[in-house]
Amino acid sequence: MTAQLSVPARRIRRRGTWTAWAFIAPVVIYLLVFYAYPLARNVELSVRAYTVRSFIDGTAPFVGFANYRAVFANPTFGPALLNTGLFVGVSILFQFTIGLALAVFFVRHFPLSGTLRALFLVPWLLPLLVSGSAWSWMLNSDSGIVNSFLEAAGIGQINWLTSPQWSLIAVLIANIWIGIPFNLVILYSGLEGIPLDVYEAASIDGANGWQKFLRITLPLLRPVSAITVLLGLVYTLKVFDLIWIMTRGGPADSSTTFAIWAYRLGFGSLLPDFSPAAAVGNLLILVALIFGLIYIRTQSRLDPA
Amino acid sequence: MSVEIKRKFKVVGAALLAAGVAANALSGCSSSGTTTSGGSSAAQGTYTFWDPYPQYDETSAWAKVIDSCAATAGVTIKRSGYDTSGLTNKALLAGQQNNSADILLVDNPVVSTLASAGILTTTDQNKLAVGDVATNILSAGVIDGKTYGVPIGANTLALYYNPKVLKAAGVDVASITDWTSLTAALQKVTAAGHKGITFSAIGTEEGSFQFLPWFWGSGADLTKLDSDKAVSSLQLWTDWVKKGYAPNSVINNTQTTSWQEFQTGDFAFAENGTWQKADAAKMGDQVVPLPGATGGSAPAPTGGEFLTIPIQKDTSRYAVSSKIVACLTSTENVVKTDNTLNYISAGKDAQAAQLSGDATLKPWVDAVQVAKARTGDNLGTKYPKISEQLWTAVQKALSGSASPADALKAAQAAVK
Amino acid sequence: MRARPWWKTVVGVILTAIMLFPVYWMINVSLTPARNMRKNPPNLIPIDATLAGYRRVLEQQMPFLGTSLVIGIGTVLLTLVLAAPAAYSLAKLRPRGGSALSFVLLIAQMIPAIIMAMGFYAIYLNLGLLNSVPGLILADSTIAVPFGVLIFTAFMSGIPEELIQAAKIDGASVWRTFISIVLPVSRNSIVTVSLFAFLWSWSDFIFATTLDGGGDFQPITLGIYRYIGNNNQEWNAIMATAVVASIPAAVLLVVAQRYVAAGVTAGAVKD
Repeated sequence: MTAQLSVPARRIRRRGTWTAWAFIAPVVIYLLVFYAYPLARNVELSVRAYTVRSFIDGTAPFVGFANYRAVFANPTFGPALLNTGLFVGVSILFQFTIGLALAVFFVRHFPLSGTLRALFLVPWLLPLLVSGSAWSWMLNSDSGIVNSFLEAAGIGQINWLTSPQWSLIAVLIANIWIGIPFNLVILYSGLEGIPLDVYEAASIDGANGWQKFLRITLPLLRPVSAITVLLGLVYTLKVFDLIWIMTRGGPADSSTTFAIWAYRLGFGSLLPDFSPAAAVGNLLILVALIFGLIYIRTQSRLDPA
Repeated sequence: MSVEIKRKFKVVGAALLAAGVAANALSGCSSSGTTTSGGSSAAQGTYTFWDPYPQYDETSAWAKVIDSCAATAGVTIKRSGYDTSGLTNKALLAGQQNNSADILLVDNPVVSTLASAGILTTTDQNKLAVGDVATNILSAGVIDGKTYGVPIGANTLALYYNPKVLKAAGVDVASITDWTSLTAALQKVTAAGHKGITFSAIGTEEGSFQFLPWFWGSGADLTKLDSDKAVSSLQLWTDWVKKGYAPNSVINNTQTTSWQEFQTGDFAFAENGTWQKADAAKMGDQVVPLPGATGGSAPAPTGGEFLTIPIQKDTSRYAVSSKIVACLTSTENVVKTDNTLNYISAGKDAQAAQLSGDATLKPWVDAVQVAKARTGDNLGTKYPKISEQLWTAVQKALSGSASPADALKAAQAAVK
Repeated sequence: MRARPWWKTVVGVILTAIMLFPVYWMINVSLTPARNMRKNPPNLIPIDATLAGYRRVLEQQMPFLGTSLVIGIGTVLLTLVLAAPAAYSLAKLRPRGGSALSFVLLIAQMIPAIIMAMGFYAIYLNLGLLNSVPGLILADSTIAVPFGVLIFTAFMSGIPEELIQAAKIDGASVWRTFISIVLPVSRNSIVTVSLFAFLWSWSDFIFATTLDGGGDFQPITLGIYRYIGNNNQEWNAIMATAVVASIPAAVLLVVAQRYVAAGVTAGAVKD
């Protein structure tokens, strides 16, 4: 994408670089102070052994990777890893597919489509305390409306929030519900950006609806899809409020993800244990980082210019 | 392309390094005595007060009594109510930055954590007079012989029952004296088409709080989570849930949602606390002590918050803070406060005053007098770890992931 | 051809109804008296409706809503001021190290909020920003700025070079070009970023409780805690607060969705 520059243009380019950096400077300073610092502090918390006392007076000993080793050896590590993987994978899969299906449904305008599409974004507005509580209410084993429907349909009671088999599925359902609006908005605008004449040309060539979708829509939507999936992944990895409110990560670690585990270590009991919590938090960021790198690599490969 | 990424890492690495320097400049001076918002900044004589009662705003009786006590001490108060579960960490964060409040009201099991963190003053330092507070209630604030705070009041758990449901099932509440008779009553009630008992077994401190009367009622000790007595107490709850005497939702119930279940009028029994007594009276429900395994009353844990005075750079502030705390815990004020909070007063004189004002408090006063502090017996900061393992074991057993014996064995191993 | 869209409307309404059922349930709970909260089976329609929750909300929560509004608008302005110029530079001016910055912005979004909030506490204390509205605006913007830069960059990359060249030929400086040409054309992405920034700031809780917990002006996410005592929670009031808090945001959504639809990533696709 870099154009061929002639000699005078290069001189202008150098001056232009200063201006360019002047535009960026506020954001860079902003990033350094507000992102790099908390991150650095968190790394520091994880390589020292902090007790509540040394948290106050700052005399924690340096222990290198001991906290990380303890985290790996902890019996919760395996379930947390598995649950995080399942939670993120299944959430993204359903959020994206349902979001795309809805976007395709809405893109050909029909009466009320604008209003309905706006209404679809309402779940997103609600504070997580409220959506989490609403779903907890609905999924309650005895007085929840979902079990009432199930019993009316003859299926019987499912202990959504209190059984180790169902707790992860319960929080998955709630998380997918919350994530659909985000996917819908972005994918919809991506779809709107695809010019109609491409479809018309394909129609002339005799392609049916499904073929048009597979051969035209999906490929053209790829950059938008990629960023949607990546952002969805990053946000889903961080999800904490929803699971905490609905199941607290239980019962017995069955719905504990890394985010929940980090919080539980640090703030979930009466005695905060900051160092392991920071270690788990950093592992979380590392996982997100790996996915970010995969994204960049895939982008560069698709787009060599 | 890998060159690209390497270059990015170099840039990012340099940025992080610069960040450390930049941000340290901004935050590094924190420990060298910046103005604490605890007073020297705004008006001279403004003291900060943190409590876990966000439901009371400036117009409430609680806020008014704080203001009046501050006025008698000659200062103004800036009060903030926080969510109780976040208050510990806020206190720690503030303590780290020398920004502690002047007076901190915290849940009693948290006092030992804050004391061991070194952010609270002892009565030797702040010259606070403890008064005639009962030992069992005060013990939550006593660590290694030093007293770190005084209770604002105490509450505890008991067994509420719905007389209508019991009558319909033909159960006489006087016959419930131990676990066997209680389980028999539950069986009769469920056979008659009603629901048995509701409580909270959620995976937080609330769950442990509700389990402790049964744990202690079997004679078990918190230092040995896998004893036979302990297993029998967890087996009791597990059997109830399995047989349907207690609903599956107890696994996720807070004390509030458990009470809401009781309020539907279908349940015979509910294990809940002093703070529901006004509501219970409205519904016509009554209360008996929680039974021990083989008879007698089970020792229930003490709830209720402690007034503490965090360490300040300016030690002259302690005198005023102590004055305010003493005013708040004076018999007249504390009885008014505890009646508002639905707590029982912690001092003998105050309890007598409460009783003379409202004789229906007798069962609660009795219960509080035999209650145990969770962090007492010098368990101190060991208690949070034990409690976390205890509620985890309860969750495992009730949800069927492990047998009570295995769950408690794992819990005890984890505490080591 | 005319008759066809109507079946889509019916399907659309059904889908929306299913999607919004939990929201309906929230309204249902907000009208339920305490004794029916755990009724089994629950009432599908609030038969014993009580307005007690709403009355309390209208009496007590208006200042919180006002504060949330101020913080929301402030967050939007700050986010736009920070993100738009930076994105313009990344998209059009292409300085060296620009792709590193994009990468850093991506990482920035991966840091869990609680880690950020704890880090901010010390900084805020020293800058005197603790328990203040400007402080919270600054903190909430950290949720939106990286995302904003991403969206703006994607969109602005799609602005035709000719427009910018034409301005340059006319002698406009980079800044003038930005203000007079690029911004007006980016109206759709501005609305989109504003919407996201406003909504994220509106529903933020972690920054509010850590950094403004004791402030005189608190947002609605903390106001809800009026009904969450240390031993008791009043669910109808909590849900009523949520319903009332959702109304301004819902209105905003309906008004702004026209712009959001038109161009979040239109630029990226044209590329």
